[in-house]
Amino acid sequence: MRSPPRPAPAPDPASAGVEADPRARADAPGAAPLPTGMVEVHGVSKIFGDVVAVSDVTFAVRPGVTALLGPNGAGKSTLFRMMCGLTPPSRGTVRVLGADARRDRDVRGRIGLAPQQDALFDRLDALEFVTIAAATQGVADPTGAARHALGQVELDPDDPRPVSGYSKGMRQRTKLAAALVHDPDVLILDEPLNGLDPVQRRRMIELLEDLGARGRCVLVSSHVLEEVAQMGSRILVVAQGRLIASGDYRDLREMMDDRPHRVSIEADRPRTLAAALVESGTVVGVKIDGDVVVADTLEVDRLGREIAPLARRLGARLRVVRPLDEDLESVFRYLVERR
Amino acid sequence: MSSSAVSTGSMAASRHVGAVRATLLSYRVLIRQIVSVGRLAALGALGAIMIVVGWVAGVAGADRDFGATDMLRDGAGYADAFGLIVIVPIISLVFAAASLGDARDDGTLVYLWLRPMGRAPVAIAAAAVSMTVALPLCVAPTVLGGWLASGRVAGSGDLAVGILAAAAMGTAAYSCLFVLVGLLFRKAVLWGIAYVLLWEGLAVGLGDFAARLSLRGYARSVLAHLADVDLDFEPNRLATSVIVLACVSVASLGLAALRLRHLNVD
Repeated sequence: MRSPPRPAPAPDPASAGVEADPRARADAPGAAPLPTGMVEVHGVSKIFGDVVAVSDVTFAVRPGVTALLGPNGAGKSTLFRMMCGLTPPSRGTVRVLGADARRDRDVRGRIGLAPQQDALFDRLDALEFVTIAAATQGVADPTGAARHALGQVELDPDDPRPVSGYSKGMRQRTKLAAALVHDPDVLILDEPLNGLDPVQRRRMIELLEDLGARGRCVLVSSHVLEEVAQMGSRILVVAQGRLIASGDYRDLREMMDDRPHRVSIEADRPRTLAAALVESGTVVGVKIDGDVVVADTLEVDRLGREIAPLARRLGARLRVVRPLDEDLESVFRYLVERR
Repeated sequence: MSSSAVSTGSMAASRHVGAVRATLLSYRVLIRQIVSVGRLAALGALGAIMIVVGWVAGVAGADRDFGATDMLRDGAGYADAFGLIVIVPIISLVFAAASLGDARDDGTLVYLWLRPMGRAPVAIAAAAVSMTVALPLCVAPTVLGGWLASGRVAGSGDLAVGILAAAAMGTAAYSCLFVLVGLLFRKAVLWGIAYVLLWEGLAVGLGDFAARLSLRGYARSVLAHLADVDLDFEPNRLATSVIVLACVSVASLGLAALRLRHLNVD
């Protein structure tokens, strides 16, 4: 059980968390001083026909790893596409390194994108594919850079197979190598861990953290909360085209403390215990499943203090007391459902 | 993943890729993407049919003891009716529409679009790729078919030169035009076939004015002038035809570059 609850902060998308003032922490090692965020999204909406894919989103991203978190269809990929200039916003402005990537050729050369779709030039082998990526980015030694990038993602540059013969994880790593090959200032990776096995995931996360620590702006999207929790401290939560929360992992933990919690209590005499919990006002709802009482409480700390004495008084033996929603998934669900 | 290998340098300097290099790089990628055994076999078979039918027509004409002028006109008419109406536009359409259209549809266009390169080199490379593949597939059967259909009579050498020039210029112009169509429409081949059949195929038959609004009208004018044959229509002047075909090519590529600049890329 955790510390006493505090009033829930209003998650103002425009100002919540550390994203509101990009200058505040634009001091990552190796980063050039930047007057503003490396990526700035201001009042951006994107409308496809009758569908509002992104609605009035504002945030700024500094050097380091930032995760864009949200369910499928939340608008993450659309936001990434607008950052890269692949599609213009219907309203608002998107700036990468102070410019519009759709119009500014220089900026396009400073972005590395690994798109979500599994599209590669299938008849090329990995070295050819990444070499072409390097050459079209104006890298002086494309082949050398391609070998280096493939090494970073642990692919064999001398593998003669065309990428059409690669597994999903290998294709994903080929895309990542192509995004990394010109050492971009801004790296935009749409669901980069898809298809990777656990070991590859861990190494990829280390690589991204290292790039972030060296002053690169690494933006990563995911709909898997476990990935995001491992990846970095800065998180933008997107749902239904809106930015519903932003901040670091600790900010989201605070939100966890300020919302209803669900606790599983395994004990004998569960009905008696459940009735006593409701009578004491410690819980706002209970459900009994065999020997398990599933209790919803707004005062998780009080429940933690009172459950043992209460059980002792009732003559019930507690076997297990554990929270059921102590992860980002529950925060995410809470934030989305509250809107 | 090897994090130690990450560059520790300062923010990367901006890089530009020059127009020639961008064209060559785009060409190198696109040529590998659009050439497939299936396409080559299907379109090669179409060309083979034209050659065989031309040979049969030539033999039949010789058996009936047609005069050289009639044979030359038949050969030119056959090259026009099969080569310039079917072979040249259809084969150009398949490769040109696919050159950027396929990349757009399958999501690989992003690897050429999000680069510090201009848009025109990508459009030029797409047209060059299309011409590289389509020219031999269009020109060879059209020239051979027309030449065989003429019965190889005296003057058929000039006829072959005329057909070659008309087919080559037509292929170039159609390639550029259909690169643009591939960027404008999702099902570009269907739109292109509709255009070829309904406009290019029928417009010439609607009169001289309508013929001036079709690429085929200018390509067959080149054929009529260089082969010095009468194709039962009032041909445009040779210089006019060449200039119009060139202008259509350049304008199409310009519009394709503009379209690329404003495209929503998936």
